Amino acid sequence: MSSSGKILGGVVVLWLVLIALLHATLNLHLFEPKQSGTNAPFRVGFIPVTCHLTCPVTDFINKQMKGKSEFEPIRFQGFPELKEAFISGYLPATFILAPMAMRLREDGVPIKIVYLGHRDGSAMVVHRESLIYRIEDLRGKKIAVPSRFANQRLLVVKALKEHGVPLDSVQIVELAPPDMPAALYSRSVDAITSGEPFMGQAEMEGYGRVLYLTKDVWPNFISCVLAVREDAIRNNRAMVQRLIDGISKSGKWLDEKMDHRMEAAEFVGQNYYNQNPELLRFVLSKPPDRVKYTNLLVRKNDFLEIEALAKETGVLKGKVTFADYADPSFVLSEESIEPYAWDYKK
Amino acid sequence: MKSKILFPIVVAILFLGLWDAVVIFSKTDIFPRPYQVFLGIVELVQRGLLLKYIVASLFRVSVGFVLAVLVGVPLGLLLGWFRPAFFALNPLIQIFRPISPIAWIPIAILWFHVDDRAPIFLIFLASVFPITVTAISAVQNIQPVYVRAAENFRLNQFDLFRRVIFPACLPQIITGLRIALGISWLVVVAAEMIAVNSGLGYLIIDARNAGKRYDLVVAGMLMIGVIGLMLDLLIRGLERFDEVRWGYSQRD
Repeated sequence: MSSSGKILGGVVVLWLVLIALLHATLNLHLFEPKQSGTNAPFRVGFIPVTCHLTCPVTDFINKQMKGKSEFEPIRFQGFPELKEAFISGYLPATFILAPMAMRLREDGVPIKIVYLGHRDGSAMVVHRESLIYRIEDLRGKKIAVPSRFANQRLLVVKALKEHGVPLDSVQIVELAPPDMPAALYSRSVDAITSGEPFMGQAEMEGYGRVLYLTKDVWPNFISCVLAVREDAIRNNRAMVQRLIDGISKSGKWLDEKMDHRMEAAEFVGQNYYNQNPELLRFVLSKPPDRVKYTNLLVRKNDFLEIEALAKETGVLKGKVTFADYADPSFVLSEESIEPYAWDYKK
Repeated sequence: MKSKILFPIVVAILFLGLWDAVVIFSKTDIFPRPYQVFLGIVELVQRGLLLKYIVASLFRVSVGFVLAVLVGVPLGLLLGWFRPAFFALNPLIQIFRPISPIAWIPIAILWFHVDDRAPIFLIFLASVFPITVTAISAVQNIQPVYVRAAENFRLNQFDLFRRVIFPACLPQIITGLRIALGISWLVVVAAEMIAVNSGLGYLIIDARNAGKRYDLVVAGMLMIGVIGLMLDLLIRGLERFDEVRWGYSQRD
């Protein structure tokens, strides 16, 4: 090898070592002292929407109360990547769209719905200057939903049916929730519906107008659930139980008083969602029952309703039953859940 | 020499002015003006994110690209030299080559989960095929006189590769590397769409989450562009080595 070749090889190796060290220090934090209790953390997938709010709240409260959390929230940008990480076994637990979880079960993924993420907490928003004032006005319009497996889509179907609008008279398109406000602003779609805060964002910035809140069309609407892999339940039931306990306590804590929600808006917005706390405060309070984090036990009747709509729209084939995709045995009664006894200090 | 520095600066200023004017004229309150993007970059620096993200992206591109060179150059040289191997493998390479790395994202997550390996894999895929293909064609177009001379010296196969074929192909290979490095930097945004939590691509994706932060989206684009330019200048430096320069001087 020529001498300049050797020099070049040396430079390349040096660069690789240098950039790897920098990356390990700045991003992977490999050189920081490990937290005590070196058990691998239990990963929980989520997307920065209020439907998954109890995930970061549980993590944050655990860290504040005990100095560490045995759960590691992993943030995704959209449902396809989250679903793939769950299928591959990387995530033993995740927040996920209810119909998507049911469909994964049909496709043979060992998934169990163990708790609900929230109730209500969604809206349909149209452009402020549009002439859509009633659900009937959606005829001939383009509506964006987060996924064909989203309950928001089933909700649209339900609402249209109840108002006598044929489903084939509207165009339903899939769009990632973070892209929805911009799509509505540019009027490339006529209506958007997904989890918050993206609906609230369009409303707060002035170009969006709420056509309906989910609570008004489908009371106690469920869009996302907490789901766990069966092998995690089998091999590590105690951990799964602790996760669900934490999630349910966080829910109670959030609904205990408005102050808690405002605090959550701040620490979640800054540390987990990278969203403006002002926006999260807006969607968590206007109105206060826009989204709810109590009454989240897994109940058969709720899911039968989702199942029926999902079958009707071709999302589910109807091969699986409640007993296949759900395991309600972790929380037996609403009364057994105590809110976290914790106060936020800045 | 003056025009080499002055002209680009004038064009850059004109471009920024035009950008600003278009934003003001169109009355959009979504698309940021240049100074807002500048403030966005300042904010990223203050929060300590810019360096972190640049390092993360450079790390992934460096590892993915170097792996692609280590695989692509020897593979290309061998396939270029041994005809039967070329006939056997070339169709496969030509099938894989046009598949966009974005199409590999679902599979990358299944295989490598969502840590650094997945984006590195995608960057590797994006750059390995251009490198292999240029190396193949470099060998196939080698001037027969070099090979005949080598045969007269009775070089064995290994020395033939090391002392004749590789140096003769180097100028073309470097051109291939330059293109491939550009592509791998191009792919970094898509590769970081996977749930990694750092990198310039991630910065852009994350800014979409953050509501109306299009200043950060454009700031990310700008940083990707500027670093891409520096990478290209760097790899162009390779063309000045004596081992390579002869290949270009013929064209002058």
